[in-house]
Amino acid sequence: MRIQRKRKKRIDIAESGALSDLAFLLIIFFIVIAVFNVNTGFLLGLPRKNSTKILNVEDIVKINLRRDGVLVHEGTSVTLGDLEEIVSERLILRPNMTLLLTVSPDVAYQQVVEVVDFVRKKQVENFSFRMGEDDL
Amino acid sequence: MKIRRKGRRGPIISINAMSDIAFLLLIFIMLISLINYRQEIKIEYPEAEFQEVTQADKNLEIWIDAAGGIFFDGKAVSLTVLEGIIADAVSEDPSVRIHVLADRNTPYRHVNGVIELLKLLQHRVVSLVVREKP
Repeated sequence: MRIQRKRKKRIDIAESGALSDLAFLLIIFFIVIAVFNVNTGFLLGLPRKNSTKILNVEDIVKINLRRDGVLVHEGTSVTLGDLEEIVSERLILRPNMTLLLTVSPDVAYQQVVEVVDFVRKKQVENFSFRMGEDDL
Repeated sequence: MKIRRKGRRGPIISINAMSDIAFLLLIFIMLISLINYRQEIKIEYPEAEFQEVTQADKNLEIWIDAAGGIFFDGKAVSLTVLEGIIADAVSEDPSVRIHVLADRNTPYRHVNGVIELLKLLQHRVVSLVVREKP
């Protein structure tokens, strides 16, 4: 009796489909990595150094940001919630209101970002901030 | 004579070409990501609710770590060196967007140093990079 041998099947790696799957997964990975590189944040217009602007005193709201992260308005410490009320009221009375923020040199950058974020939220158009003295 | 019919074979779609295209795409995207490669400094990003995409066609990134060290292209630089780098970049392309990436715990005086430098160089727009608040 003649025994028929089974022919060995040749495996074609390209036809298996696994290779192309792997390649596409890598493509997706690189696309996602590329998206991570996009910066998001705030765009700020900088004034010229030592430039001055004439403002109506009654349009100005002065806020100090102390080194411990506490906001001070007219000598009283306020929260961002309080500041929201103050700014909303002033904006109704004085649409050209300017918010002047004086920042302590030792305050954590996150605290400054939170105030800038608040200004964006309230859509305050005239906003200026500068670094104050050490003893703020 | 008995004519033997050939057995019909089902249609075959060859995917050999697909893997070639996939690899070409892969190489293309890898090259693109190498062009966009940036030297990152380990910082904790500040977080905010409202933000916009500040990326432009040409970008220059200034990194400030928690200790106040200033880095450009992965290397620590002084404010004087940074001044030269910014001046060169702006003279080469005035539309270059300058991004300040500072650690959330950095004392503000270090960020202010860079902002004052940009004012001095009469650079008009600066991007303060933040991440979205979770």
